[in-house]
Amino acid sequence: MTSFRADDVTLERVEENVWEIPREGDMRVAARVFASESLLEAIADDKTLQQLENTTHLPGIVEPAICMPDGHQGYGFPVGGVGAIDADDGCISPGAVGYDINCGVRMVRTSLTYDDLRGRESDLVDRLFEAIPSGLGGGGVVETDRETVDEILDRGVEWAVDNGYGVADDLTHCEDEGRRPDADPDAVTTDAKARGKDQVGSLGSGNHFLEVQRVTDVYRPEVASAFGLEADQVVVLIHCGSRGLGHQTCTDYLRKIERRHGDLLERLPDRELAAAPSGSVLAADYYGAMCAAINFAWVNRQLIMHRTRQVFEDVFDRSWRDLGMDLLYDVAHNIAKRETHSVNGDDRDLYVHRKGATRAFPAGHPDVPAAYRDVGQPVIIPGSMGAGSYVLRGGDRSLDRSFGSTAHGAGRVMSRTRAKDQFRGGDVQHALREQHIYVRARSGATVAEEAPGVYKDVDEVVRVSDALGIGDTVARTYPVCNIKG
Amino acid sequence: MSYELRSHTADVAVEATGDTLGTAFAAAADGLAAAQCDEIPDGGDRFDVSVTAESREAALFEYLDELVLQRDVRGVLPVDNEATVRESDGSWTVEGSARGVPLAELAAREVKAVTYSEMEIAETERGWRVYVVFDV
Repeated sequence: MTSFRADDVTLERVEENVWEIPREGDMRVAARVFASESLLEAIADDKTLQQLENTTHLPGIVEPAICMPDGHQGYGFPVGGVGAIDADDGCISPGAVGYDINCGVRMVRTSLTYDDLRGRESDLVDRLFEAIPSGLGGGGVVETDRETVDEILDRGVEWAVDNGYGVADDLTHCEDEGRRPDADPDAVTTDAKARGKDQVGSLGSGNHFLEVQRVTDVYRPEVASAFGLEADQVVVLIHCGSRGLGHQTCTDYLRKIERRHGDLLERLPDRELAAAPSGSVLAADYYGAMCAAINFAWVNRQLIMHRTRQVFEDVFDRSWRDLGMDLLYDVAHNIAKRETHSVNGDDRDLYVHRKGATRAFPAGHPDVPAAYRDVGQPVIIPGSMGAGSYVLRGGDRSLDRSFGSTAHGAGRVMSRTRAKDQFRGGDVQHALREQHIYVRARSGATVAEEAPGVYKDVDEVVRVSDALGIGDTVARTYPVCNIKG
Repeated sequence: MSYELRSHTADVAVEATGDTLGTAFAAAADGLAAAQCDEIPDGGDRFDVSVTAESREAALFEYLDELVLQRDVRGVLPVDNEATVRESDGSWTVEGSARGVPLAELAAREVKAVTYSEMEIAETERGWRVYVVFDV
């Protein structure tokens, strides 16, 4: 197949797994989709391609706008989208980051094997479910006040470590060492802080979860060894974001930008692409607020990890240090970062928007933590409850193909309403239990909405990432216990 | 007034109708509650909400966003919504009220935010129809 047509969008095949929407009309640049033919057919099934084309209208966007293999329809900007925009002569768009700022994942190693865990799964999942706040209104690991929220927004995981919720090693194994220095707590509204202050250390609901997993496959032993992973090892994966504070921050700035920069908005094909021009007050304010919300999300996942360590100590009657529960890595997949990239031979400062996409810097990049600089940045790709997840490392081609980015998950193919019609939460839990996967959830509807059948084939997503050299497969994990809201 | 939940790949959409713009907005707000909770219990105290915005669409966005904010701040799910909408000199005001069911009394899942994506507000032969997508 040399071209692919879906509704009003025609894509040309550039090479295997690379499809291009050529520049035409008001598009400022061409767009690319990284997908196999089967994934492209799934991507073309909703409005993803139209949304991708719409993103090419943003001022200052650098070629190409990208949709990752797990892409699907979002609002304004597609989920799985990467948009690199000139930081000095372009714009920054809250909609291209998403409402859940720094939604992301962290993986925690253990020294346990699956055999150590067998027979205790039911106890462990129950205790995790009781200990980790989840769902709507479940509170957080800690209750805070406004002053504490401001400190979290400013200092990120450093605040958590200083207050006994972590250790120094946690900082060195987190993207940006757990703190965005550009954070401006004063740019986060009172409403956003009010929503977030009782949610510090909480999963929320939807597709967020905490999962105890076992490593089933190792594909690159030398990289896996550097990541501290080996076959049969038990690990913990935590997937959540900045909760109400981040959601409100996106909403607040969407409205502020709409009111102040309506002229720019009128030239864009979708209101959700509202963007603040580079150099404007709102661009600076939003970037500061977003960076603060990024810090909040890192603290959120840090506190959940802290509570998880305590639960493992109780269940296995050993200290978390004895259990080897070190942070492997924490990486964001809803974020915009000012980064320097080589564009046609020139270094340019870009706001790299990754909405449902993960930074994936290769070995040797100075922004990869020292612990992993020789092998490449860890990338964690959460899959569905029945299909498992992947650990990748940033690939050698990520900088020239995708502004240092790869996929972020499996990507949905079925709507939540249809999933609830098709699946019952109890049936899904029972079927997973037959596969030795223990699930606890606040809401049965959430289990139905997150049934394994609603997602794309995560194996195919990471295969494409690996084949393109943007994110190389290192290991695969399979769920043992899963808790969700 | 009535609402229906509509399919959206990752999120949830609500289509709502009403005899007046206010009842259609309130029906959308009831759809927001239904997107979060299947069985809504009795109980809870009513509270008022009021927002003003520069357009009809912005007023709907602000109204629903206020309900999401109040949900997290008050710790209640806003249900049984009532609303009126009026326009004056290009400024749209929504005044409404909701019954706040304590979140501790129900099993609910979270809507993160209101979006403008595919938002429609249209006058029909029978009144008003609104369509709004929520980020889940």
